[in-house]
Amino acid sequence: MSRTEAKKPSLCTNDPLTKERISFSLSVLSGIVKSCYGPTGRLKQLHNGMGGYVRTTSQSSALLDGLSITHPVLKVLTASVQNHISRFSDCGLFTAILCCSLVENFQRINFAACTVTKISRHLLSLSTDYLKSEACGCRISVDFDNIKTLLSLVRSILASKPACMLNKTEVNHLSTLVLKAFLLTIPHTIETNVVLGKCVIVPVKDKRVMDSTVFPGLLIEIPEFQLARTFPVKRVSSSTIKMALFCISMSGDLSSIGEGTVIVHHGISLEVAVLDQLLNLGKQLVNDQVGLVVCQKVVHPSLKQYLKEHHVITIDRVGVSMMEPLSKMTGSQPIAALHSVSPTCYGSLKDLCTESFVSKHFLHLIPNDTLVCSLILCNRSEMAWDELKLACQTAEHVLQLTTKQPLALLGGGCTETHLASYIRHKSFTLPTNVLKAIDCSRTQYQLVADAFCRSLECVACCLEHDDGEILTDMVYGHFWSIPSGFPCDCNWSDLALKCGCGIYNNQRNLNWTVLRSQCIPFAPQSCSNEPSIHSTDHLVLDCFTAKCSGLQVAVETANLILDLSYIVEDQN
Amino acid sequence: MAFRNVNRRRHIGLQQLSSLASIGRTLLGPVKSYKFIVDESTSESVLTCSAVRLLESLDLTSAVGQLLNETIQAQNKEYKTGMTTQLFLIGAWSSAVLECLQQNVPFSLIVSVMSEGLNSCSEKVQCLQLSVHDSYKGPDSAPIHFSSSSLGPQIIENKTPGIGANSFLNPLVHILKEVPVSKEESVPEGLHSHQTSPCDLRNRCLNSYLCPTDYITPSLVELVGNKTMPAVPGSSLIASSYTKRTRLTHSRYFNTPGKKHCSLQVDSFGGPPIGPAACPYEFNDFEQLAMALSHGNQSSMKLVQDIVRCQQQVADHAGSSQFNIAEVVTCCLPGLSEHYSCVCPGYITLVSPEKATVTKQLQDRPLQILLVDGDLTEKYRHLGFNRPSNVRTISENVGLQESSSESLWINCVLDILIKAKVNLVLVKGNVCESLMERCILNNILIINPVTLNVLHAFGKGTGVQLVTYLSQVNSHCMGSSVWVDFWRTGDLSTMELDNKVPISIKAEGIHLVTAVLSSTVTSKMQVTEDQFWTCAYRLHHALTDQKVFPGGGAVELLCLSHLKTLEEQSLKQPHKKPSGDFYMSSGWLTKSLTQYKPVVLKALASGWHQYLSRVMCNTAHYASEFEASASIEHHLKKAADCGSPSAYILKEFNKGAKVMVDFGLSAKPEEAVKIYDNVTPKVEAWRRALDLVLLVLQTDAEIITGPKRNQLLNSHVSSEFIFL
Repeated sequence: MSRTEAKKPSLCTNDPLTKERISFSLSVLSGIVKSCYGPTGRLKQLHNGMGGYVRTTSQSSALLDGLSITHPVLKVLTASVQNHISRFSDCGLFTAILCCSLVENFQRINFAACTVTKISRHLLSLSTDYLKSEACGCRISVDFDNIKTLLSLVRSILASKPACMLNKTEVNHLSTLVLKAFLLTIPHTIETNVVLGKCVIVPVKDKRVMDSTVFPGLLIEIPEFQLARTFPVKRVSSSTIKMALFCISMSGDLSSIGEGTVIVHHGISLEVAVLDQLLNLGKQLVNDQVGLVVCQKVVHPSLKQYLKEHHVITIDRVGVSMMEPLSKMTGSQPIAALHSVSPTCYGSLKDLCTESFVSKHFLHLIPNDTLVCSLILCNRSEMAWDELKLACQTAEHVLQLTTKQPLALLGGGCTETHLASYIRHKSFTLPTNVLKAIDCSRTQYQLVADAFCRSLECVACCLEHDDGEILTDMVYGHFWSIPSGFPCDCNWSDLALKCGCGIYNNQRNLNWTVLRSQCIPFAPQSCSNEPSIHSTDHLVLDCFTAKCSGLQVAVETANLILDLSYIVEDQN
Repeated sequence: MAFRNVNRRRHIGLQQLSSLASIGRTLLGPVKSYKFIVDESTSESVLTCSAVRLLESLDLTSAVGQLLNETIQAQNKEYKTGMTTQLFLIGAWSSAVLECLQQNVPFSLIVSVMSEGLNSCSEKVQCLQLSVHDSYKGPDSAPIHFSSSSLGPQIIENKTPGIGANSFLNPLVHILKEVPVSKEESVPEGLHSHQTSPCDLRNRCLNSYLCPTDYITPSLVELVGNKTMPAVPGSSLIASSYTKRTRLTHSRYFNTPGKKHCSLQVDSFGGPPIGPAACPYEFNDFEQLAMALSHGNQSSMKLVQDIVRCQQQVADHAGSSQFNIAEVVTCCLPGLSEHYSCVCPGYITLVSPEKATVTKQLQDRPLQILLVDGDLTEKYRHLGFNRPSNVRTISENVGLQESSSESLWINCVLDILIKAKVNLVLVKGNVCESLMERCILNNILIINPVTLNVLHAFGKGTGVQLVTYLSQVNSHCMGSSVWVDFWRTGDLSTMELDNKVPISIKAEGIHLVTAVLSSTVTSKMQVTEDQFWTCAYRLHHALTDQKVFPGGGAVELLCLSHLKTLEEQSLKQPHKKPSGDFYMSSGWLTKSLTQYKPVVLKALASGWHQYLSRVMCNTAHYASEFEASASIEHHLKKAADCGSPSAYILKEFNKGAKVMVDFGLSAKPEEAVKIYDNVTPKVEAWRRALDLVLLVLQTDAEIITGPKRNQLLNSHVSSEFIFL
C-alpha cells in the first residue's frame, strides 16, 4: 500500500523588495561587501563554528563562495556577481557594491520599474560608450614596452587584498614575479593564432613570502629520499628525454570494472592479472626507451620498483591540475589505457634535474620550448596563502585580459567619480529627441541619472573605512580623501595630498568639493596628457575589461531585481 | 548563515586574542612555571610548560582561538622554536593595539605603522648578527670566529681585545663541571603569588571544561647522587596522565598530522652509550655555541652535542659533515632516572619480551634486513588502491574455507622471509598478529611501527630499497651487516621497563642516532622530549642560518631603542613627507600619520618591553616587573647617550651582560654563560605574531555557515548575530 501525501501549495510573495525581511537581508549583504572593498577593507572570518577551517578574506570570490544564501533575491545578485568573477576574476566587489547601491538608490526614487530600466539602460550605454571612446578621460593605454604600467596593474591587485598579509617589499617582489611568470607564457614568435602558455602555481606554505620565485618549466615536488635514487636519467639523445604521461590510475586496482557482479573462480586473482598487465606495460615503456613516467594518480609499488630497476624515473599523484600544462609542455598525450600504448603518445623533454628550495625538493622538467612556468608561491600561513594564490591568479588573468585590450582604468575611486561627473554633465545636456526616444521626461531622466551617479560615487566612498571625508575636484573629477571634521571653508589643498589613483597631487588648486554634495555639473577633463602617468611609479590601476563588464552586470542585475514582482517558492 | 559584527564597541576579536595569549605569560624565559591542565569532566590532566602543548590541550573552537593555534602550530612546524615568544608577543601586541583603538587611531594607520615598524626593526637588528661560519667544521674544528659581519666601524672600535675572542672560549669548561647535568630548574616560590592572581580577561576566555591552573613546580626535584626524589604531591595522578592528552576530536587543528617525534619510537645502536659525563670537553668552541643556545637546558644540549659528535664520527668515514636533524630519533624511557639519558648510534626501541628472546638468539651475528613501508597484513593495499566491491569468488571445492586465505598468505610471506634468509624486518605500519607469532617461532624479528625517516636512514646506510609488499622482495631489497643487541646502560647491564626491553639495531654506514631520554617523573617525559628537540632545532637553525643573535634580550633592547629613535624622528620632523606611502591609499592617512605615528610605535615597543620585563622577572633576578622595567629604561637611556645603541648593546653583551637579562642560572658574574638566540626563527616569530594581531584587528565580522547556525539561533548569544 502506498502512502500519498498532499502537496503543499507554493508560496507566492508579491513585490518582494517592499518586504522588510528582504530589504534587511539585502542591506546586510550590501554592508558585508562594502566593508571588504579596497586596500584598507575589513576582513571577514568564514567558518562553520565547529572547529572547521577559518578562512579570513576580503575577496569577493572566496566571500561569495563561503556565504550560504537562501533567499532568491539575494541569490540573483550573488549568482550574477559570481558569474562575472568566473569570467574576469577581478572587480567582483565593485560589481556587487554597485548593484546593491543601484537597487537602494533606484528604490528610493520610487518610479515604475520599466521607466527606471529604460533610463538606466541608456545611462549604461552612455557610460560604456564613453569608457570605450578615445575621449575617455579616466583610462590610459597600456604600453607593453614599458613595464611600469603593467607592474602598477599587478601591484594594485595584490595591494588591495589585506588578508594576504604582505608588506611593501613583499608586494613589490610578488608583483615582479607574477609579471615575470606571465611574460614567460607569451610565445616568442607571434603567428595569427596566439596561444598563451600556462603559469602553474606551486604551493609552499609556512614559508616567507620573499622566498617565492619563478622557474621556467615545471616543478613537481618529490619526497627528499626520492632525490638520491632518481638519477642518472635514461636519455634518447643528449637533449631528449622521452616521457609518458598517464591520466588513469596505475595502482593495480579494478576501478574500471563497471556495474554488476564479477564472479571469479577460486585460485584466480584479478589483482595478479592486473599487476601482470602493468608489468607488461612497464616492459614496453622500458623497450621504448622512455626515461620518465608521470601519472596523475597512483602507480603500483611493484611497477615503480620495476621501472626504477631499469632507470626510469616515476612520478605519481601529480594531480589533475598538472595534466594540462604537462601535456602542453612536453607534447605528450595523456594515456588512458594500460594496454597497447601507442608510441605516438610519448612526449619529450630537454632535460630533467632536481632543485632543492626552501627545504623542499622538486623535480624540474625543462622543456624544449618554454611556454610553461612554475610560480613557487610562499606565504606564512595556510589562510594567507590561499588568499595570496587567489590574488595572483586574478593578477595573471587581468594581464591576459589586458593583452587583448591594452587599456587600464584609473583605480582608487577616480574612475567612479570621474564617470559620475561625466554622466551628470551629460544628463543635463541631453538633447530632447533622445528623451523622446526613451519616452521619459527630463526630470525623470535626471532623477534616475542622479541615482545612478550616486551609486557610482557610493562605490568610490566604500574605499574609505576610517571615517575620512571624500572630496572630488571640479577639474578632473578625481577622488580625494581628507580627515573628517573640517569645516567647508578651510583650505582643502592643505588636506588633500594625492588623488586616489595617484596621478595628481595638491599642487594646483583643483577646486575641491565634498563628494555627493549638490554642485554644478561640469565636463571632467582628461588625464591622458598628464606627464605623471609615465613618471609616477605607483599608479593605482584597474583592469579595463573587468570593470566595464562589472558595470554592465551591476546595472542589468539591479534592473532585474527591481523588476521582480513575484517570488514563487515550491515548498515541497 | 549567521553573521556577527566583532567590531562593535571594543574589538571582541582582539580581546579574545589578548586573553587567550595571556595564559602563556609564565612560560617565558629559562625558568618556566609548569601548568596543569585538568579536564574536569574526565579528571584527566596534562602537565605542560610550552606554548605548543598548552594550546594543543585547550579547547579553542572560537575562530580567533583557531587562528591563534594555527599560527603557533605553523611556527612549530617550521622552526620548532620561538613559539612561546610568539604567544607572548601576540598577547602583548593585541592589548597594545586595543589601547591604540581607544585613542581613536584609525585602523589602517595601526596596520601600516606597526608592520613598517617591525620591518624596520628586523632590518636594524641585523647589525647584531654574529656569524658562525667557521664554528662548524665539526666539533673538533678550529676556534669559532664570531665576526660581526654587518657591523659598522663604530662597533669594532668598542670591542676591546680582552673581551673579543677570548671570553668566548674560556670559562665554560669548569663552570659546567660545577653545574650538575641533570639538575632541573626550580622555580622560586616567590613568583607564584603573582601568577596565580586571578586575571579577569583570562578567566573570561577560558573554556569551562578545561581550566589551566598555574602549576607550582616543587623545588625539590633535584638529583641526589643517583637517586631522584620526586616530591610532587599526588604524583600518581601525573604519572597516569602521561600518555593521555586531553584533546578535541572535532577540530581539524587538534588532529596534528605527522607528529614526527612521538614518544616511544626510537631506535639506536647498542654499544656502550656515550653518556653525558663520559666525554672529556675537547671541543670548546663548538660547545660554547651549543651551550649558549641551550638557554638553561644544559642537559638536553649536552645530548645534542653528543649527537653531532656521533654523526661526525660516522661522517668521517662517509664524507658528509652536516648536523643532520632528519637522522635523529628519540627513545623515551619514562620512569628511569635522568641519569640514563644518553646518545647512541643506530636505532633504539622498546620491544616486548617475546621479541627480546628473538633478539637474544640473533645478537652477535650479522643479519639480513628487510624494510617495509606499509603494513604487513593480508588485507593491506597501498594508498590509492580501491578495492572493488562487486567481485565474488566462488569455489568448486567445498572443503576450502574463507578463513584459509589468511593462513595461505602467512605461509607465503613466511616462505619468502625464510627463503631470503631475512632475520630482521622493520615495518612502518601494522603487522598481522599471527604472522608476528610465526616469525618469532622462526627467529625472525619484526619491529613496528618504525617511522619513515628511520626506514630511509637504514635504506641509505645499507643500500636497501624499501618494499611495500613482500612479493617485491629481490636481491636489491635486502641488506646484510645489520646487528641487533640489547641496549645496555653505562654499567653494561640490560634493563626492563614496564615489561618492555630496549634493544638497539645498528648497521654499517648508518648515520642515524638515537637520543635515549629518561625522566623519573613520568608526566615530565613529554616536557623532557620537547626540550630536547627544542635544543636540537636551535642548534640546527644556528648552523643553517650560519649566524646567531646575541641573546639575553640584546635584540629586543635594540628594537626598543630603534623604535624610540623612530618615534623621536617623527616628532621632530612632523612636516617631513613620509616616504613610501604606498599603503596609504587614502591621502589623508598619510597626513594623519605624523599625528598618530608616535602612539603606534609606542604600542609596538610596549610588546617588546613587556616581553623583556617578563623574562627578567621570570629569571628571578628582579622582584617585580616594575623593577625590571626600570632597569630596561636605564639601559635604553645609556644606549641612547652612547650614540650608537648597537655598539653599546654589543659591548654590554660581551662584558658578560649581567646588566641585561640573564638566562643563565648561575648567579656569580664570572660564571655568566654567553647566550645566543636563533636569527630566522626569532624574526619570523615576531612577524607571524604581528601578522596575526593585525589580521584579527582588520577583521570586522564573523560569518558562520552550516548547521551551527541553528544552534546559535537558539542559544543565549543569538542577539549578537544577524541571521540571513
